[in-house]
Amino acid sequence: MVTFLDPFATWIQTTQLAFVMRDNQWLWAFCETVHFLGLAMMVGAIGALDLRMLGVAKQIPMRPLHRLVPWGIAGFVANLTTGIMFYSADATQYTHNIAFQFKMLFVLLAGVNVLYFYGAKVSQRVEALGPGADAPMSAKVVAASSLFLWFGVMYWGRMLPFIGTAF
Amino acid sequence: MEFLTWVEQLPFSTWVRESGSLYGYSLILTLHTIGLALLMGISFAVDLRLIGFAGETPVAPYERFFPYLWLGFWLNAISGVILLMADATTKMINPVFYVKMTLIALAVWNVTIIRKRMFGNSFPANAKTLAWISIFLWIGATTAGRLMAYLGPVAGLQ
Repeated sequence: MVTFLDPFATWIQTTQLAFVMRDNQWLWAFCETVHFLGLAMMVGAIGALDLRMLGVAKQIPMRPLHRLVPWGIAGFVANLTTGIMFYSADATQYTHNIAFQFKMLFVLLAGVNVLYFYGAKVSQRVEALGPGADAPMSAKVVAASSLFLWFGVMYWGRMLPFIGTAF
Repeated sequence: MEFLTWVEQLPFSTWVRESGSLYGYSLILTLHTIGLALLMGISFAVDLRLIGFAGETPVAPYERFFPYLWLGFWLNAISGVILLMADATTKMINPVFYVKMTLIALAVWNVTIIRKRMFGNSFPANAKTLAWISIFLWIGATTAGRLMAYLGPVAGLQ
């Protein structure tokens, strides 16, 4: 289904990174821990913002809450980095794992959602929201999509060893 | 040990562990991950605010986020008990499990202190310290949780 990725998978599997990941159980365990902390940071920062847009804790004005976003991005970068490290170790298996494919699809959709949020200026309308102000419907749709997609990413991530061909 | 074996051999525990159903072990693990994200994530958000990394947001409305934090806590308490039942004989004799439980107990206790002081009458001077303690306890608990799959008696797929 995604055979176009096979050359890339075959290549990354033979890099130094892949060897180090396969040979070093403790590095793997460390990366798993970072991956969990990263996902918690994302949910904490982005999820709090989403909840505010959906009407929870409305007394918090948007602008200062928006300052949590860099922490969510930091969590994402940590997870992207550790994710590439895991992927390299067993790239062909992951590439053809249906749970992995869905996980990546959900990550991409979450990315599109972020682009829409900033690109369509929904963010600007939301930024100005003071204490108690209700977010516009477009922002609520973005927020609900974001929560659904990120929790979906967690679901597919957890399913990696259980659905499809993994391990 | 007999009791642990009995718990582990209960039809429910056996089903969770061995059925291979997507509603068994894998679903419980997913709920445990989602609970972790809610409990720790919202705790982090509050901690970051207290430390001063989220600017001058008024603190009081953050109280509205706490029900989601507790939802995460109960999700993990329940899913955690089920995971423990499924692998009682290995997890209950793994020292790392007790380290994890201790760190979580301290972290949750700390969360209740933060909540009480933050939303009480006087904003505490040691709020930043409590927030840093919170972050380190959660990092410790996550690390211990992961290490249960590597150290001591290890059960099945983690």
